[in-house]
Amino acid sequence: MPKSLLMISRQAPWSGPSAREALDIVLAGGAFDLPIGLLFLDDGVFQLAAKQDAKALQQKDLSANLQALPMFGVEELFVCADSAAERGLDPTGLALEETRALSADEITALIDRYDQVITL
Amino acid sequence: MSTLHVLSHSPFGDDRLTSCLRVIGANDGLLLSGDAAHALQPGTAPFNALSSRSLKLFVLAEDAQARALAVPDWVQAIDYPAFVELSIHYDKVNSWL
Amino acid sequence: MAAVLLTESVMKFAIALFSAAHAPSSRRALLFAQAALAGGHEIVRLFFYQDGVYNASGSVVTPQDEQDLPKQWRAFVAEHQLDGVVCIAAALRRGVLNEEEAKRYQREAVAVGAPWELSGLGQLHDAVQDADRLICFGGA
Repeated sequence: MPKSLLMISRQAPWSGPSAREALDIVLAGGAFDLPIGLLFLDDGVFQLAAKQDAKALQQKDLSANLQALPMFGVEELFVCADSAAERGLDPTGLALEETRALSADEITALIDRYDQVITL
Repeated sequence: MSTLHVLSHSPFGDDRLTSCLRVIGANDGLLLSGDAAHALQPGTAPFNALSSRSLKLFVLAEDAQARALAVPDWVQAIDYPAFVELSIHYDKVNSWL
Repeated sequence: MAAVLLTESVMKFAIALFSAAHAPSSRRALLFAQAALAGGHEIVRLFFYQDGVYNASGSVVTPQDEQDLPKQWRAFVAEHQLDGVVCIAAALRRGVLNEEEAKRYQREAVAVGAPWELSGLGQLHDAVQDADRLICFGGA
């Protein structure tokens, strides 16, 4: 049984390479058919905000990478409901449809479920 | 399953401690390392937040000592061999990078 | 009274480092790694990602009155013959190139060589699968 890995992504999309480098770990894991989960927490929820325009900052648009997640077999996608609400984001109107909004207690249980976790 | 959460950022002007405390489980542990040790500054909001929870709390002894922070009796000061032991005692380690 | 021998099982650690050599968390990572081996455990891999790649750089010049982490890491890996892997994508972005990559991209400086190996994120996942514990250091 392969060990499962939860990636907790906490950084906004263009605050340095963290958001992209967290996603790279997830995509690599998916490519190797490993059980990977991805939780967007704190400013990480901004990666899911709709109608972003990365080109305005000459930055890479990560939404293509995000949309590719299910194709890489990464379907365990979560967003912290509190983080989204605090940041004025509606968890149901996010750019990545497949994410499940979780409460704090559900996140506690989520972390418990995985064998390993990386919080970036 | 139990998790050892590890913090290394100052709790002042950073939301990692707050976020960690929201999701930390009843069986989990929390290790303060580096500037996160400043959470043990008495009379502060982080100090009060930690002292009001019944959590297993640890601090790297070197970090408390360097900052002249008294270690309250509800926190255990540890060295690196003990850090290794803790990482084994808990099922996994979650460092808030 | 008979002596009781307490044997603790040997644990396999994967240690990932995300911060630069001058960051306090990098020193903590090294001290943890040393304590893990001193405690009789194994380190299946050291994986440097994000700014952690700078710990493998031979170009870093540390002030005389500070701890030379790249030098200490190199000595540690060499002494214990550990598997020290630097993520190639993270390294390229940060200018930590080995001879092969410097040639490929026609860059002047070769910053990393043995005992460090430039490789992909697959090596991190491999280590996570192999190890009993994954410990990450970084941030501050």
